[in-house]
Amino acid sequence: MTRPSDRIFGLVVILAALAYIASALQVQASFLSDPVGPKAFPIAVGIVAILCAVTMIARPDAEPEWPALRSTLAIGIAIVVLVIYAYALKPLGFLIPTAVVAAILSYQISPSPKVSVLSGIGLSIGLFVLFRFVLGLSLFGFPRGWF
Amino acid sequence: MADLLANLSLGFGIALSPYTLLLAIIGCFIGTIVGALPGLGPANGVAIMIPITFSMGLDATGALILLTAIYYGAMYGGRISSILLNIPGDEPAMMTTLDGYPMAKAGRAGDALVISGFASFVGAFLATLGLAILAPALSRIAYEFGPAEYFALYLLAFCTLGGIASNNQAKAALASCLGIGIAMIGLDPNSGLPRMTGGNLHLYDGIDFLVAIVGLFAVSEVFFFIESKGKSGAAGIKLRGRVTVPWAEIWTTRWTMIRCSVVGFIAGVLPGAGASLGSFMTYMMEKSIAGEKGKFGTGVAKGIAAPEVGNNAAAGGALVPMLTLGVPGSGTTAVLLAVLVTLNITPGPTLFVERPDVVWSLIASLLIANFVLLAMNVPMVKVFVKVLEVPPAILMPGVTMVSFVGIYSLTGSYFDLLLVVLFGVLGYVLRKLDIPTVPVILGILLGSKMEKQLRDAMVLSDGDWTYLFSSTISSVLIVAAIVGFILPIFLRGRIRKPQRVSD
Amino acid sequence: MSKTLLRALSSAAVLAVTATSAFAVECIAPANPGGGWDFTCRQVGKIMYDIGQVADPVQVTNLAGAGGGLAFSTVVNERNSDPDLMVAASSATTTRLAQNAFGGATADQVRFVGAIGADPGVIVVAADSPYQSLGELVDAIKADPGSVAFAGGSAVGGFDHLKPLQVLKAAGFDDITKVRYIGVDGGADAITQTVGGFTQAMTGDMSEIVGFIPTGDIRVLAVMTDERVPGFEDIPTAKEQGFDVRAVNWRGMYVPKDISDARFQEWAGMLQAVADSAEWQQAMADNGLAPFTLVGDEFQAWVDGVVAETEALSREIGVIQ
Repeated sequence: MTRPSDRIFGLVVILAALAYIASALQVQASFLSDPVGPKAFPIAVGIVAILCAVTMIARPDAEPEWPALRSTLAIGIAIVVLVIYAYALKPLGFLIPTAVVAAILSYQISPSPKVSVLSGIGLSIGLFVLFRFVLGLSLFGFPRGWF
Repeated sequence: MADLLANLSLGFGIALSPYTLLLAIIGCFIGTIVGALPGLGPANGVAIMIPITFSMGLDATGALILLTAIYYGAMYGGRISSILLNIPGDEPAMMTTLDGYPMAKAGRAGDALVISGFASFVGAFLATLGLAILAPALSRIAYEFGPAEYFALYLLAFCTLGGIASNNQAKAALASCLGIGIAMIGLDPNSGLPRMTGGNLHLYDGIDFLVAIVGLFAVSEVFFFIESKGKSGAAGIKLRGRVTVPWAEIWTTRWTMIRCSVVGFIAGVLPGAGASLGSFMTYMMEKSIAGEKGKFGTGVAKGIAAPEVGNNAAAGGALVPMLTLGVPGSGTTAVLLAVLVTLNITPGPTLFVERPDVVWSLIASLLIANFVLLAMNVPMVKVFVKVLEVPPAILMPGVTMVSFVGIYSLTGSYFDLLLVVLFGVLGYVLRKLDIPTVPVILGILLGSKMEKQLRDAMVLSDGDWTYLFSSTISSVLIVAAIVGFILPIFLRGRIRKPQRVSD
Repeated sequence: MSKTLLRALSSAAVLAVTATSAFAVECIAPANPGGGWDFTCRQVGKIMYDIGQVADPVQVTNLAGAGGGLAFSTVVNERNSDPDLMVAASSATTTRLAQNAFGGATADQVRFVGAIGADPGVIVVAADSPYQSLGELVDAIKADPGSVAFAGGSAVGGFDHLKPLQVLKAAGFDDITKVRYIGVDGGADAITQTVGGFTQAMTGDMSEIVGFIPTGDIRVLAVMTDERVPGFEDIPTAKEQGFDVRAVNWRGMYVPKDISDARFQEWAGMLQAVADSAEWQQAMADNGLAPFTLVGDEFQAWVDGVVAETEALSREIGVIQ
């Protein structure tokens, strides 16, 4: 099968849309007069999405250039790091996780240890000052109980 | 006319003093920064500043000047990251990425910023004048728009989406379905019951479009940089020469600016439409007027001017229903409304008569803010474009962290951050497959509104579908939507065929 | 599910609340700055300090999320015995609790300590409407439920929706699921829809319609208080028109459940002092609030009644099942 990307994505969309429609069918309705109801719109959206996906499968565009295995791996690492960051922000405070994550992302874009460490630390402190003191948002620099 | 001048002098008499000018400058500066930072939009910008204005102990005039300066400043600022980074600073600026970023990539970031800054000024200036002259008369328009009319308006927006950026209409439609599908998540406003949440309490409020914007645009951009090891994008590109004002190019956009000011202003006046719809409609309108020769999407001046005029004019227009009816037309005006109420000013039909001091000092402060912004923005372009000289290895982690913290500091929720990452992955895949991401945002913004208006219309008519055609306004809009959807399909077939032969 | 969920929710909230020092009184506004809860916290906090009920300025914390649900679960799970914490509440809080919109949380997990003002409910029609009184409107609905559609500022099942349903119940009309209602963005928008002729009546709060009364565009059919509201003596109450309904959007506070009874009574006293202060009288007048003071055990009992009534009504129209 040539040009598989659009087709694979189309299949994924169809499966997702079917799941979406299935869960829309489970939506509870109230007893009030509501001729359209809460299910019709999600189901219609699911159906249109399936039609679009079928079109994509039938007439796929030219194949995009997917990254090599190494780059895919790098993006995968970046995703994992960002997910960990999401969980770490609260217990560890702002400064440390931000410095570490910024440094890792920086290293991934341009592998220079010096630049990435410096930009990690600089960004973390600079942004903390910007958000905490200039914009007055409630951020905590360090884990609770350190100070 | 004499009335207008008398009123304006009353307004300037209250609003113009060295102290208030200073407040306007501070407000414009903060607004521009908040607008430019992805993850913080104008609504958040104003909301963040409310406690500060209270703790500064400002009087009503001072607080209004500061907050409206922030409001207009944020509307100006949103374009900066759209142009430089391909990441809209706020949702109305997303259309500016379509031509602004290509122009920046071609080494003309300075020109793009100057053109858009000037366009912002024109849009905001004309809209403020429109507000001053027409507000009491225009407030009656809101009485003409019921559920059927709003539904027709949203339908028009979605039906013209097909020609947005991708050559493949199915992909644009799929992207808007994605957005509308996401918009369905949360409590259903017509039954009060949760939908598509999987029982997750975090999802009861729905998915915030800021989360989606940051993920789809900013995080996915980081993935592209990682893939290319920092070689993609406009960052690091050598700027061509010094920053000058491209007067000739601005002059070519004069009719675009006037047309878009009118359309954007009207979109703003309609309480259900707002700045995002304003910038979207003006861009699509100019794109179809210019036709294939217009080269929209490749970095042309009109493509930058249109959405910026549109969203800034809409920002001014949105103040009309807010002041005259107390109906906020957008998230930001909703926050401004709350501020007015806490200042003991109740917007409504009697405001223009009972509190002319407030109204005209507000209009005067909008004009002041607008001129301050123009004066600030053109020289500041030199500073903004320096952003592109920052190496991607520092810039992109910075943008990511700013977006994450912006979202986190507002909601305090790790769950939203996970969603941001998820949207980042989605955005990366969509962009790889040449599926436009703008319709996704538009779907999230307008999808649930469109559904709600349709359902409300059917509640009112007891399920009678002809109700949608019961007024001239809704009939015209629906016909325009159908034509807008079908026409490109025919035209495309006609234009493509001879080209294929010559290939 | 709900346990981990609540833990996650409340832990996310800690960020927002840790800034307070241990001894100052704190008021949580379960919404972003600018809304009604925020107003309640800031005004009450300021007055408590000004009249000497607290030694230090009251710390106001905004904790928005899930329509107040995030703040509620934080109080219940993390700060259930904090004696120095109060949380702004209103009719929306009890309506959502009654409708199980806070993920399984119930009203008896906190103590409602007092209400110190209220925004009276109103029912309004356009000036050119054929309905001259609440009775005529109710008769029209009884004859044909489809003939009248209401617009209100809350979602379906919300407080604005329940108001006309309460009136109709009181009038002996039981087929309330047939009553048409659309929820729009706030009371002003609801008036726009009604004056524009898209809906036949508007249900909302007094403060939302005050600006429209002088324009002559609307006619107020009834206010849902026991007595006519001071300053608006020409608006009849629902009660005097023969519909025994009281629907007010009260503004008040709840406190954590596990504080001592003595502390609860102290809170009640402090709120009573605020309610009696000239400063609060002024703040109420400026914001379209009517006097409505109910503190301590008396308020808790009233809230329990309201919650039960709301729950029954919501079950009947199917917004909870």
